[in-house]
Amino acid sequence: MKKKVIVLLLTFAMVFIVAGCSSKDNNEGASESVVVIAMGSGFSTLDPGFMYEQNPTLVANACYETLFKFIDGSDEPQTSLAESYTFSDDGLALTIVLKEEATFASGNPVTSEDVKFSLNRTKNLKGNPSFIADTIKSIECPDESTVVINLTGQDSAILSKLGYASCSILDSKVVKENGGTDAEDANTTDTAQVYLDATSAGSGMYVLKSYTPDEEIILEKNENYWGTTTNVDKYIIKLQGDANTQMMGLSSGDIDIALNLTDDTIIELEGKENVKVQNESTKTVGFLMMNEDEKIGGPVANNKVQKAISYAIDYKGIQTICGTGSITPESIIQVGFMGSKGEKDVSTATDLVKAKELLKEAGYEDGFDIDLEMSELDMEGVPLLDLAQIVKEDLSEININVNIVQRDWVAGYGDDYRDGKMGMTIIYWGIDYNDPNVQLVFLPGQQVGLRANWKEKGYEDITKKYNDILAETDSSKRSQLLVEVQDMIEEDSPFVMLAQASCHIGYNSKLTGVNFSDTYRVDVTEINIQ
Amino acid sequence: MIRSIIKLMKSNYLFTLGCFICLCWILAAIFADFIAPYGPITQDLSIRLNSPSLEHLFGTDNFGRDIFSRVIYGGRYSLLAGCVTVLLAGTIGSIYGAIAGYLGGVVDDIMMRLSEMILSFPSLILAMCINAALGSSLFNTMFALVIVAWPTYARLMRSVVLTVKENEYVEAARALGASKWRVLITEIIPNSVGSVLIMATTDLGNQILMFSTLSFLGLGSAPPTPEWGMMVSDGVNYFNKFWVAGFPGLAILTMAVGSNFIGDGLRDLMDPKLRKEF
Repeated sequence: MKKKVIVLLLTFAMVFIVAGCSSKDNNEGASESVVVIAMGSGFSTLDPGFMYEQNPTLVANACYETLFKFIDGSDEPQTSLAESYTFSDDGLALTIVLKEEATFASGNPVTSEDVKFSLNRTKNLKGNPSFIADTIKSIECPDESTVVINLTGQDSAILSKLGYASCSILDSKVVKENGGTDAEDANTTDTAQVYLDATSAGSGMYVLKSYTPDEEIILEKNENYWGTTTNVDKYIIKLQGDANTQMMGLSSGDIDIALNLTDDTIIELEGKENVKVQNESTKTVGFLMMNEDEKIGGPVANNKVQKAISYAIDYKGIQTICGTGSITPESIIQVGFMGSKGEKDVSTATDLVKAKELLKEAGYEDGFDIDLEMSELDMEGVPLLDLAQIVKEDLSEININVNIVQRDWVAGYGDDYRDGKMGMTIIYWGIDYNDPNVQLVFLPGQQVGLRANWKEKGYEDITKKYNDILAETDSSKRSQLLVEVQDMIEEDSPFVMLAQASCHIGYNSKLTGVNFSDTYRVDVTEINIQ
Repeated sequence: MIRSIIKLMKSNYLFTLGCFICLCWILAAIFADFIAPYGPITQDLSIRLNSPSLEHLFGTDNFGRDIFSRVIYGGRYSLLAGCVTVLLAGTIGSIYGAIAGYLGGVVDDIMMRLSEMILSFPSLILAMCINAALGSSLFNTMFALVIVAWPTYARLMRSVVLTVKENEYVEAARALGASKWRVLITEIIPNSVGSVLIMATTDLGNQILMFSTLSFLGLGSAPPTPEWGMMVSDGVNYFNKFWVAGFPGLAILTMAVGSNFIGDGLRDLMDPKLRKEF
């Protein structure tokens, strides 16, 4: 009995000791200015050379810098590490002069060799984001602060591409010491990912202190930062994407910035004094795709049927489901990009009479049955299946009986979609880099166009326009060309743009400079504590 | 039999309650077209996520659909899936078990090891795998449930048959010159089927739960089908709007509890030790 009592007391003692330790940890750091961010995960590396998903770009933007940057949500890239740039007359060479004062967190200066190393490494790693460097033929370094990028062909989006997270400039000396290489065989010989997952090697305002996948990222102020800094010393990024958890954390003050709220959780935050919310439309766009091949698409391969369907959809309903802040672009280029045809007027976009007329012309007066194949994916928190249910209801108005078929993304849907074997589906498209040219994949013969079996044959004039756009480096002329190419597909396109998803973010009102950005989620280098 | 059931209803109020609940759901499902005030998939986005009111007894969901109507219609799918699964699994399992038990020897060994192979998998995981492989639809979900459920019936039937086949009337039938199969069909199966029936009533609730679980996980019929499990999973995103998941959840609960009460009551009726009480 005595023994038992002693054991019991010892156990209690241990529990108290452990509890004491953990409460001490919690108080630590109260004097520093710390900002806690909650965001979704879905990525497994912070090495810029492998960075492809949207969430980690927040970290890349904090720890690294790129040659060009998108400031204040603008879609015009501004110089960042670059001081100035010039294109050669044929548009095939881009000469960039670097800022002399820029240094890495290690103290090394940012040189042209670092730029060459970083871009070549991204290209040669042959990872998901390597396509970004596809148009880069070679890189020369005439002197320490000048880089010449030779292109394989004219590329009017090259400045935007150089602002993409995976084009971050790495400290080549540090990365090479830790197994990094930019050689052609980097995909097999480069071993720096382990190092870059544990710490960063950039010139950004923050340094990566620790990264626990699917759990937490800690960033601390770069003591050697060469530019002007904000007053936030430390960021704790919790990888917790659940909207309800984020909402509760934000209202209790445990979280300062919540990036994945939904329309319904944001209502709960209304009227709370210490919380501000933002509903911004993103450039992630949900669209209905119909296969141009009659063997696969059946009736929806018919151009008139496609047009009829676009008239039958209730875009307002779609926007209601996508949440406050979502909008429908008029054509394939989203609102917010130059060359966009603007927002669709949802009050006049639906016209059932016209839709029925078009169906009649196409020979489907009595409608038809069609499968709508759907995956389980969601677009910024909105299940695509929800959009499918709206479309089903809308199309029943013009006697098209939609049968929703659920398929798993990994168990075949993904492959069939990419191989153009899907008759009709609703899916979303997130931009790879912040440039309207990225949307040209929706043209016949291009990446997404081919997924609808929309081939180049018969649309040679569109392809010509496409090449003109790639070659045009003057912004206003390019903008004009972009509008023209969208006019060309106005009457004939297998895609119906449904909505640009909205992003709901909430933050503590003590912070200033919190703004949603498609490229960086939020630009943490702009945030200050009041 | 009917007399003893009425007797049972008088003495066992849980059994009566179970019968009442199940009857309500069955009638609601059959006469859904007359009871439900709105169509189960009719959307009205202007009234989405409204709380329960006189116009919408159970409130409305994300698409402004009337949850009361959806719950009423939803009974059709759950009851259909539950009954079909139990019927098929019960029939297949009983015949399989009866053959194994009656023939005995090597045949019994092989047949029972085969069924134990299925039993050794966690049933929900196995059903999910089958469903995912075949693609999700109402039919495939029922198929998956049958595959998972029949071995339990086979085992039960086999153990009952093992005792029944030792009875004298079986021997008598055989002595009169009845063939092996005739004895099995006319003597053994009718005398063993009682316990399977009881198990089937209890199992009905389990199968409805299992079906709801699968459709909660997105492995049932495709939306906008008003299926209870799927409605609960829709409601998970609106946890501060209790009625979206709450009412379909309540429907699953009552249906499962109701059929369990019936099963329990029937077992009491069949149990010779307890039967004297009636």
